Amino acid sequence: MIAYLIEAANVLFANRMRSILTIIGLVVGVATIVAVQVAAAGMSGAVSGIFKGTNASTFIVFPKTTQSNVVRAALKIDDLALIRDRVPGVVSVIPFSRRQIIVDAGHQRVRLRFGGESDKRFSTSPVAAGRTLSAADIATADSACVISDNAFTRLFPNETSAANVLGQSLYVGSKRYVIVGVLGKAKVDTAALGFDVSNDVAIPYTTFYNTYQRGSSFFGVSVLASPDVNLQMTERRTEAVLAQAHGAQYQAFDFGFFAKTISGFFSVVGLIVGAVGAISLIVAGIGIMNIMLVSVTERTREIGIRKAIGARRGQVLAQFFVESLVLSAVGCLIGMFLGVGLGFFVDRGFIARISGVYGAIPWFEAIVIAVGFATLVTLGFGTYPAYRAARLDPIEALRYE
Amino acid sequence: MNDTTRVIGTRDLTKVYQSGSLRVEALRGLTFSIERGEYVAIMGPSGSGKSTLMNVLGCLDRATSGQYLLDGIDVSQLDDNQLAEIRLRKLGFVFQGFNLLPRANALRNVTLPLFYAGMPPKQREKLALERLTEVGIGDRARHKPTELSGGEQQRVAIARALVNDPAVLLADEPTGNLDSKTSAEIMALFERLSAAGRTIIVVTHDEGVASRARRILRMLDGVIIKDTLSNIPVTSG
Repeated sequence: MIAYLIEAANVLFANRMRSILTIIGLVVGVATIVAVQVAAAGMSGAVSGIFKGTNASTFIVFPKTTQSNVVRAALKIDDLALIRDRVPGVVSVIPFSRRQIIVDAGHQRVRLRFGGESDKRFSTSPVAAGRTLSAADIATADSACVISDNAFTRLFPNETSAANVLGQSLYVGSKRYVIVGVLGKAKVDTAALGFDVSNDVAIPYTTFYNTYQRGSSFFGVSVLASPDVNLQMTERRTEAVLAQAHGAQYQAFDFGFFAKTISGFFSVVGLIVGAVGAISLIVAGIGIMNIMLVSVTERTREIGIRKAIGARRGQVLAQFFVESLVLSAVGCLIGMFLGVGLGFFVDRGFIARISGVYGAIPWFEAIVIAVGFATLVTLGFGTYPAYRAARLDPIEALRYE
Repeated sequence: MNDTTRVIGTRDLTKVYQSGSLRVEALRGLTFSIERGEYVAIMGPSGSGKSTLMNVLGCLDRATSGQYLLDGIDVSQLDDNQLAEIRLRKLGFVFQGFNLLPRANALRNVTLPLFYAGMPPKQREKLALERLTEVGIGDRARHKPTELSGGEQQRVAIARALVNDPAVLLADEPTGNLDSKTSAEIMALFERLSAAGRTIIVVTHDEGVASRARRILRMLDGVIIKDTLSNIPVTSG
């Protein structure tokens, strides 16, 4: 067997240009399939990471607005108490408040995410310095604020210790807020996923309401449920309570929904890429078969010599079969490494950057795919040329010029 | 004539090629035998059946009817794989066109039959080098066929034919592609091998080559018309 491998490697190396061209299709096919596997593994790691890193008991409720119910469905300040009172397991309800806003601190002027927060925290970022908003802050609609690590580094680029900025002021327009706390790095940057629970500058939601939302309706409400209750049931209850009060339809969204949407998108992408990869593998297989048939024809005389010397059918079959095997194995191996590299690049470059979760490379799957395809392609497309070679009549083959 | 000294024995050997309505009787009932250590030339014009006989004797082809005993084995009824085994163990071929593997060097060409016989690599190379030295080109073992002269290539082919220690060495126009000087060298090598006890069958249309053999079988239209031993006619069959 080793002798056959060496022989095959010699032959393929002697025709290296042809060998390389032959396996390109295989390389591309395996690379795409493996890359999708790696990226998908990264994605599923990211999705589960989102659940780990954020408050999974949070959801947002939006009205299903139609032309006729805009006014009726609009969420108002009374709805906060309504939900809190009527839906069991709700810890806190605040208006959905999020804006990009220019914030000034000293000489720095930066654009940051700005919004209301409750004393029952929606954010899960750890506290780096100071404190979070207190019930008193909420009750008095105080001008206190808690800033994120992002806000800290951008507003105070020369400051090394978060504790030093406590008590300092920042301005949103003419309104002044006093920093009472600085948060550490969030485990997951949910903003990049389109579901933003963390604000760069969080003020009491009551203050936010009084200053920016008074009299107007809310885009939606954010609900923090107790971790002990079933989130889906709480969502349905909330929808029902609001529907009853307003005579309109509401829809709750949680992380699971977003995660599902994203992973659903990825599995569709995976299917499409997988199908393309599979087609390219078939094409590549036919390419290998073609080259092997050419090789058998070209080497008819060689086969004749080998048979005259005493090679049995099985030995000739093995020789050409091993050549196909080496071709597909090399192609699949290169494809595997390329695919892992590509998938790794996609994962680290995009998925992990968004999710903050570094997915493990699924080497096992990658190897299974590569070995599986090498075997399939060899069996499917290497057998016939090898059979043709083995079946040659030695006398005819020796006469071949 | 007894079985222990007889290496080839045929009885009523026929070969018929049937292609549609066309029927060609290439061999028409050949009965002859060749003793161990004999040096035999098979002669005849093209179409006389000498190549067909060569193929049948070389176990590359099966006779249509009749019996063929090679080294005591009835090979008439063997299947392809069994014939391959016979070629491997009992026969060595030397062709007009040398038929070496172009990519492999002389040594690897000579080791090829041993590879198919399943001999370990070290042993293969040792034996092959011995044979190459025996035919006078031990120093050219690492050269590829393209780097060798015609005479050297034919020596490699002879070394390859002998490496499995065959019962019979079959040569088909072994000097056909060589100049007269090199031909003489190759014929001298054959004589030396014959003197050392090898059984050699040479198929040729060259009287000069045939005259070096100790026995000549002359063929015409699928039959042996004359069987001469050292220029003394003997009865055939």
